[in-house]
Amino acid sequence: MGSILQIQGLKVFYGVHEAVCGVDMDIQEGSITAIIGSNGAGKTTIIKAISGAVKHEGTILCRGVPLPPRENRVVRQGIVQVPEGRKIFAGLTVEENLRTGAYTVRGRREIDRLLQEQYEMFPRLRERRQQDAGTLSGGEQQMLAICRGLMAKPKILMLDEPSLGLAPVVVNDVFRNIRRIRDEGITVILVEQNAKKSLGICDYAYVIETGRVVMSGTGEEMLQNPEVAAAYLGSSRK
Amino acid sequence: MTLQLLISGISLGSVYALIAVGFAIVFSILRFSNFAHGGMISACAFIGYFFQASFETPPPFYVTVLFTAVCGVVMALFIDTIAYRRIRKKQAPTLYYFLASITIAILIEQILSVFFGKNLYGYPQIFESTTFYIGSIRFSSIDTLILVVSLVILTVLLFVINKTRIGLAIRAVAIDPATSRLMGINSDVVIITVFAIAGALAGISGVLLGTKYSVYPSLGASMMIKGFIASVIGGLGSLSGAIPAAILLGVVEIFLTYWLGSLATPIVLFGIMLVFLAIRPEGISGKFAKDKV
Repeated sequence: MGSILQIQGLKVFYGVHEAVCGVDMDIQEGSITAIIGSNGAGKTTIIKAISGAVKHEGTILCRGVPLPPRENRVVRQGIVQVPEGRKIFAGLTVEENLRTGAYTVRGRREIDRLLQEQYEMFPRLRERRQQDAGTLSGGEQQMLAICRGLMAKPKILMLDEPSLGLAPVVVNDVFRNIRRIRDEGITVILVEQNAKKSLGICDYAYVIETGRVVMSGTGEEMLQNPEVAAAYLGSSRK
Repeated sequence: MTLQLLISGISLGSVYALIAVGFAIVFSILRFSNFAHGGMISACAFIGYFFQASFETPPPFYVTVLFTAVCGVVMALFIDTIAYRRIRKKQAPTLYYFLASITIAILIEQILSVFFGKNLYGYPQIFESTTFYIGSIRFSSIDTLILVVSLVILTVLLFVINKTRIGLAIRAVAIDPATSRLMGINSDVVIITVFAIAGALAGISGVLLGTKYSVYPSLGASMMIKGFIASVIGGLGSLSGAIPAAILLGVVEIFLTYWLGSLATPIVLFGIMLVFLAIRPEGISGKFAKDKV
């Protein structure tokens, strides 16, 4: 165990607008860390900075080593982002989508093994592997997006709004699988607007407001916290 | 006669396919019509001609094809470096690519005109006889050679695009560059590969066209227009649409030339393109309906 990712004084500017204003985080290996907050708080920007997709100030260290500033090299470090809105490649088949995820993995046999792993986790994907991925349902596309991320053999998997636009039953399914991924030893960073669900499964959580960490603690603590309850659990608290 | 026209049309169409595919593959990644492709075709036709002419006994045809393909790759990468890379780094609008590519096309053609504009250059004869017979049907040797070479090249290309790792990366970047980068795909490598492929295709089509017609500075420009028509009909940026569209175009052109003559034919061809743009702007394949330049 121990810390796998340390973020110190992270700042991101979009033009003159400061989207992230000095964020510190400490991600524990093998845990689920949730980043919650309202729309536009800067959650996605934080993981985009980790991915190298946006320029940033401050340091991001993976086991003490600074991350490279380019997406393709961050992936080679074992840090993989599953983007918001799933962003599967419509026009490629399900299996081709999975293979793009394994772009950094060498060896045909290893890639075939990884494919089998995903198909065992989601047999639905095996059934549809020759089908255009654009024809899958929203839930299936989300599963595909997560599996595509897993094809890169990540140490850290960053999920951006995996529950967005999915039916409640499907959301439960997705969250169950996120826990399963953690149990396999992969560190998960979960960016979510669905605060209640993500606090329910996470080990640790950060609450982001206008680019700053305003609270942090274990999922349990956050669920009990009256301020969190008032701001983020609102109507869903019954 | 009909069968001979058909084969001649397919042969011509297969060269158009090489051009259209070279055009389409760049469009699919960078979303601009690379008109410099025509300049490269002309330049490569000359390179191939002088390469063959520099030997007492001309080398086998495939050697010339390979040599010119390599020259095409070098030229394409050079053009990318001097004309396109800075546009990419600055993330400038697509219009800048468009202007740069037209500039390069004109530049190459004018340079060729200055040095070689006065004459027509004919490739040395490859075959002792210009025709051969299978049964009672007469075939043109050069058309058959062009057809075979083009089909081999297209097959190799489709294999690379559909079955290899870099091919998958090219298709992924064509669909969604930002997400492709999140998969660890280096988009710079993909772009360079695409220019290299386009350059090789320009080189090969330059030699094939040079052997069929004679070589002159505006050869590439006039041929590239056909490749452009084919890729519009096929759906800009779509390889799977460009190939059948190009072959169809070749066949239609040969038949029209037979019936109407070579002066009226281009009018009809452009008419067909306009009709296509009006009723089905996304082309045969139905992809990439937007962003046409």
